[in-house]
Amino acid sequence: MTLSKPESGAARRRRRRLRRKLSRAAALLATLIVTGGLYAAMAPGSVAEDAADSNAVEAGRELYEQSCITCHGSNLEGVSDRGPSLIGVGEASVFFQVSTGRMPLARQGEQAFRGPVTFTDDEIDQLMAYIQANGGGPTLPSGDLRDGELAAGGELFRLNCASCHNFAGRGGALSSGKNAPNLSEASDLQMYAAMLSGPSNMPVFGDNQLTPEEKRAIINYVQTLAESTDPGGLGIGRAGPVPEGVVIWLLGMGVLLIGVFWIGSKA
Amino acid sequence: MSIDHRAGAHGERSVGNTAGSSDLAPTREQLAAMSHAELDMLGARLDDTEVVVLSNPPPPGSIAEKRAERQVALCFGLATLFAFAFVIVFWGAGWFLPDWEYDVGGSAFGALFTPLLGLTMGSALAFLGIGIVLWAKKLMPHEVATQGRHGGASDPVDAQTAGGTIMAGFARTGLARHNIVRRSLLGAGGALGLLALVPLGGLIKKPGRELVETSWEAGVRLLRDDGTPVRPADMLPGSLETVFPAVERGNRQADAATMLIRLRREQVDQIQAPPGQEDFAWEDYLAFSKVCTHAGCPVSLYEQETGRILCPCHQSQFIVTEGARPVFGPAARALPQLPIELDDEGYFVARSDYPEPVGPSFWNREK
Repeated sequence: MTLSKPESGAARRRRRRLRRKLSRAAALLATLIVTGGLYAAMAPGSVAEDAADSNAVEAGRELYEQSCITCHGSNLEGVSDRGPSLIGVGEASVFFQVSTGRMPLARQGEQAFRGPVTFTDDEIDQLMAYIQANGGGPTLPSGDLRDGELAAGGELFRLNCASCHNFAGRGGALSSGKNAPNLSEASDLQMYAAMLSGPSNMPVFGDNQLTPEEKRAIINYVQTLAESTDPGGLGIGRAGPVPEGVVIWLLGMGVLLIGVFWIGSKA
Repeated sequence: MSIDHRAGAHGERSVGNTAGSSDLAPTREQLAAMSHAELDMLGARLDDTEVVVLSNPPPPGSIAEKRAERQVALCFGLATLFAFAFVIVFWGAGWFLPDWEYDVGGSAFGALFTPLLGLTMGSALAFLGIGIVLWAKKLMPHEVATQGRHGGASDPVDAQTAGGTIMAGFARTGLARHNIVRRSLLGAGGALGLLALVPLGGLIKKPGRELVETSWEAGVRLLRDDGTPVRPADMLPGSLETVFPAVERGNRQADAATMLIRLRREQVDQIQAPPGQEDFAWEDYLAFSKVCTHAGCPVSLYEQETGRILCPCHQSQFIVTEGARPVFGPAARALPQLPIELDDEGYFVARSDYPEPVGPSFWNREK
């Protein structure tokens, strides 16, 4: 065609412009495809995860509306004389309360006590996602929670925790029927979540007050205590010198008295 | 009684009022011929004592005797075994037995070592005692001894001669005559008494201002136990931190321990500061003495929801939002509040010492 007869300059220019436009469009298309493909290849799960997250939040909302809404309100704002607001408490608080069976609360009382766990681990995750998505708050840590210095943990435990939880972590009484629970049943993560969130009447220990390392040291100390045997023989609940004295008075003196009567009795 | 004995020995003097005993006194020949049992009975008779045998042990060679013997021997044998076991546990640990030192997660023997020592030693002593009691109960005669009661006052001769012995002895010392000896001895005695009183002086001390003042003063930072200062951003609402004054060994001063408390948001509106302490708090932060006003125990059982501080010793309760006023228990006064502010670098400092003495009441406390 180009050989047969020469074309006009205007027609040639038009065709060149069209070709340029087409090639630009193709290049743009190719770039988009490559970028999109690369993005999909580099971050394969993110789209799926986002979807899973929103599913978890949605599932958590359903669980919330079945089990928690009566006391904590339809918008997590709390209901006066029933339950506190959950806005900003974070997943750490949810994990502690639900995984120890304290929530959902069976009935109003002086305090929520440890009990049978109502939800499965997956459901707890969903509830955590729902609360975390609405107001944020302290999140759970990961990794080895006993990764701390044992002796330093002991010092910190005695300074910050032992006044209520007893020097051996066996808990103790508070006012009006409340108590500081025995720590021997608590898992590492539950202890960490409790320090972060300050459940019920327990003071909060934020990360600026007890650093994550210090929290791990305390957990290491408490769990080491709980797992160790009693080197002095019978632990008697490790509740301290008073029950030990009671035992020696009642048991020891009883045995001595029986011995005295036996020696003095006539043959 | 001793007079009788002498009477027998000398064979001449026959003084004494032990009625009916002098006629029993045997001659030397009779004494030499008596058996141990007869001598024992004679001694009892001379002492006006009568022994009544209630029951005799089983006859020698009888089955009952053999059985009793076996029981006693079994107890003594067990005592021997446990005593040896004690020695084996004590010396064997770390030698042919595992090491006795307790180690977390170590051998079970480490935890058993002390109980084993107690068990073996206790059992050895217990079986020795049980054996002795069984022996006395089953292999010895059971007797009751009765002794006649003697007259009340001593014989006048005895009384007079005893007094004479003391007075004559004192006269022989010559203290009544040797004035210089007597006086110097009195001096030495008095000085020694004074010497014994000197250590008491250490117990008597004027307390000065120690009871009414602590190390807190204006501009002294509030430090954690590890010596780091505290900023308002460090603590979350509903938290408590034990703080000490930023002075040398401040975290070892029992009267300076202070609780720095950050209230929950809704508690800030409930603050009812006692008169004169309205400006002691810094926003939602309050600082109170950690020493109970009842008996001086550390009060740090803080209930962050109810805002109550509990004392573990006698269950006193203080309400933080009302100036740590006591609401339950034996404590009668509020916990002293430390006035706080921020310094130029944004750390908490005290504005002054506590306005009143911390801890329990004492004799000349003003209020």
